[in-house]
Amino acid sequence: MSTLAAEFRNAYIHGSGPALATVFTPIATTNSPHRLSSFYDFTNAQYLTQDLASSLFHGKGLKVSKAEQTAWVNVFAAYWEAVGEVLKFEDGHSEASAAAIFKAWKKMAMALNKGYTDAGFPAWTLPCMYTVGKFLRTFAIKADNEAASQSSTTFGVLDDVAADVEKNAYLEDGARIINRMFTLCLTDRAPIEDSRKWGIYNITSLLFKTYFKINSVGLTKNLLRAINAQSHELPPLESFPKSHIVTFEYYIGVIHFLDENYTEAEKHLSTAWRMCHRQAIKNRELILMYLIPCHLVTTHTLPSKQLLASFPQLELFFRPLSNCIRKGDLVGFDAAMAAGEEEFVKRRIYLPLERGRDIALRNLFRKVFIAGGFEEPKEGQPPVRRSRIPVVEFAAALRIGTHATGRTRIDIDEVECLLSNLIYKGLMKGYIARERGFVVLSKNNAAFPGTGV
Amino acid sequence: MSSSIPPWRATASAPSTAGAFTTATPAYIPVQARRSLNHHNKSNPSTLNGAYQPAMSTTDTAQTRVEFSPAIRTYVQRCFAPENQIASVSTAEMQEKLREVITNAAKNDRLNAIDWERLQLPQIIIQNERNKILANPSVSSWAMSGQPASPGDASRKRKSTEHQQTEPDSPPWRKTNNRNRFEDRVTYPTTEKKSRMALDASSKSKANLEMRKKRFEGAGATYGNSATSSPQPEVDQGPVVGRCEKLEKNYFRLTSAPNPDTVRPLSVLKMTLDLLKKKWKKEGNYGYICDQFKSLRQDLTVQHIRDEFTVSVYEIHARIALEKGDLGEYNQCQTQLRVLYSQQLGGHPTEFKAYRILYFIYTRNWTAMNDALADVTAEDKKDPAVKHALNVRSALALGNYHRFFMLYLDTPNMGAYLMDMFVDRERLSALAAICRAYKPDVTIRFITEELGFESDEQTARFVIDHSSAELLEEKSGTVRLLTGKAGGLFEQAKAEAHRVVDIKGQI
Repeated sequence: MSTLAAEFRNAYIHGSGPALATVFTPIATTNSPHRLSSFYDFTNAQYLTQDLASSLFHGKGLKVSKAEQTAWVNVFAAYWEAVGEVLKFEDGHSEASAAAIFKAWKKMAMALNKGYTDAGFPAWTLPCMYTVGKFLRTFAIKADNEAASQSSTTFGVLDDVAADVEKNAYLEDGARIINRMFTLCLTDRAPIEDSRKWGIYNITSLLFKTYFKINSVGLTKNLLRAINAQSHELPPLESFPKSHIVTFEYYIGVIHFLDENYTEAEKHLSTAWRMCHRQAIKNRELILMYLIPCHLVTTHTLPSKQLLASFPQLELFFRPLSNCIRKGDLVGFDAAMAAGEEEFVKRRIYLPLERGRDIALRNLFRKVFIAGGFEEPKEGQPPVRRSRIPVVEFAAALRIGTHATGRTRIDIDEVECLLSNLIYKGLMKGYIARERGFVVLSKNNAAFPGTGV
Repeated sequence: MSSSIPPWRATASAPSTAGAFTTATPAYIPVQARRSLNHHNKSNPSTLNGAYQPAMSTTDTAQTRVEFSPAIRTYVQRCFAPENQIASVSTAEMQEKLREVITNAAKNDRLNAIDWERLQLPQIIIQNERNKILANPSVSSWAMSGQPASPGDASRKRKSTEHQQTEPDSPPWRKTNNRNRFEDRVTYPTTEKKSRMALDASSKSKANLEMRKKRFEGAGATYGNSATSSPQPEVDQGPVVGRCEKLEKNYFRLTSAPNPDTVRPLSVLKMTLDLLKKKWKKEGNYGYICDQFKSLRQDLTVQHIRDEFTVSVYEIHARIALEKGDLGEYNQCQTQLRVLYSQQLGGHPTEFKAYRILYFIYTRNWTAMNDALADVTAEDKKDPAVKHALNVRSALALGNYHRFFMLYLDTPNMGAYLMDMFVDRERLSALAAICRAYKPDVTIRFITEELGFESDEQTARFVIDHSSAELLEEKSGTVRLLTGKAGGLFEQAKAEAHRVVDIKGQI
């Protein structure tokens, strides 16, 4: 105990949030492998509060109000119980369970929240909240996994047979506590220098993460609405720590991404990308995972070779697709999509990536246009590309790479349909003169906007 | 806080539903728990206010001034008890029968001879009489085969069952605006429910949530809605074993632990399903069928019956709901089926996986679509229905209307009922593209063929309904669509049609 108590006193005297947060990290470190067990062994249930009160607050140097002292003792008491469960679990005790850890930790989180509402814990202690919230989530996920492996289905007074709700019971429970933290941060009325409002984006990101995990992305909208309603009282986003901003912007980007709102998504993901720490490879990769498909949809551009080269996972995902799109290789594109389908679907990027096919198609048709050569040259005028192209030429291009058996034959109506789509989407400029079997493309280097021809 | 219903249960995966915390619309119709008989059946206040001086006061028996014994009074009370009501028997019919029973008894001086406690209720008598007439077991189990329900419905002919106003004599532009097919198909709750809903409308959401919470709090729940005197079972004490022998039962949302006397055991439920299938085929009364299926599902749930039979009940209900375009009910079944299939209980998982994909195309719920795609295994992809649904999805994603409408004309199982929900929307998208791409015009014939219309008349009517008659021009014997002028109009109609679809009961 002496170590943890000393750490606490030390952190408190210096007003260091991060130092305080490490006190509540329920993991033994390499420096002090016995920090948890020595804390647990230092007292027993009977003398718990007395021992805590004396070791935390007796002595010089620490001026803390009576109410706050009691609240911290309560937090530590709950912490002690939770640590007990963690140790039991690590020892493989027969009564130990991830569920028990979660329940104990939840009590601790509630004690901490109570400290903020009733005992006026100062805002600099917020990192405690981050840590406790973070582990609440971790323990809940473990408890859910444990429950899933023991799987027993329960019935309530319900009309339908299968209520698919048990899967994330612990995490849902945990989310409620984290949501409470969210409210605690957002609605703090203290002057801004000492306000819990500074914790809002960090806790929101934690809650986003939790909602994503329990498949309730829709709930994130409520948080955003709450934040927007308070926005006039919040400090500007730029004044928050960068680490908070990056995570928050990343999630906002992904939320828009899932709503197929790619323009908005790109804006937020780009911000996250720009501000993300260079060495945070994992995070940068996560951002790009969504930013690259976004970019493909909004600007029709592909990631460069250098960019992909530094992220092996992304290279694997996007390189084959990019190559096929660039070459206008539809058969290759379809094969690459099929090969990556499972992973793409898992990461929810399949649907936007699929749209890359339009770009591949555009590139293929562009080749047809270029291969068509020039009109009969006229005296003294620059050469003009042939702008009336028979639909059958496009049809022939579509057969490249396919096995020209009867089954894969493409009929002219479908070719026209593909052409009309490209024109409609603005990837091609011109019109189809159906009766004459021609496509009439724009002259003056405007047939395929943005590609130079 | 821990006992409240978590918000994500209320809305689950409907991210479009704004404000899940505050507007958690339940997936069912909230109903006030019935505490006394007076709540029931407001249409007959006179009968109900005098439950103890029952319906008889105005009948011919009244003249004889008979003083009814308590046994008879209890019997009359039972007749009006909500849990004994049967959907197919109206209150008026029941009262008529009740009158008859008592009058006969009085005339024959048997009022005290009859064992009123055991006597069948008038609604049961009526039903038994009807069943005798209906008992005509020549009907095969249509639903198990996965074929559309109505006779002659196979393949494209199913169109015939729909409300298509194609009187051949009047030109398309004379006809009324094409009605919203969806509107036609929705089943509204039965009138009884509707009136209750209207009463509750003001207090809805919050008060009801509160009520519901209380009901679910369990052990202490009052058990007051039954006239029988069976001992009060504890909530959540394992499955109930039913002992009700009636085949039909009205759906009533449970407000307390189920009473075994009103729950039908599996053997009875199996007969019920057969009866319902016959009735559906014969009468096609969707309101009745839907209600009966809901009570059937409820009886399965409270008895923890989860097997192949359960799957087939949900499948059949889903198919019927699909046929009637009741997507709310369909989606409930679909959600349940997904869980049931995951437990390998048999049934037709691929058929319903395909529906699910088509359903999410209709609701344009891409998050859910992604989940649906994640559920499709390599094995599933070999199934023609799944393959079809996946192709439909990708054709739409790429704007390939040509392929989309080819697929539309060749939809397996009952998928076409779902596709009908969004073909018009996709036709508008396709027309917007066509009008942008083709100049100066295209023939109506071309549109008819590309967009899966049944005739040039139908195409013309569609064009007129969604834009204006001036876009059509007759030129050298063919009707042509002036694409140059039409783009903006279809663009507008397309945007209109693509507004987010909100469906009751979507979870």
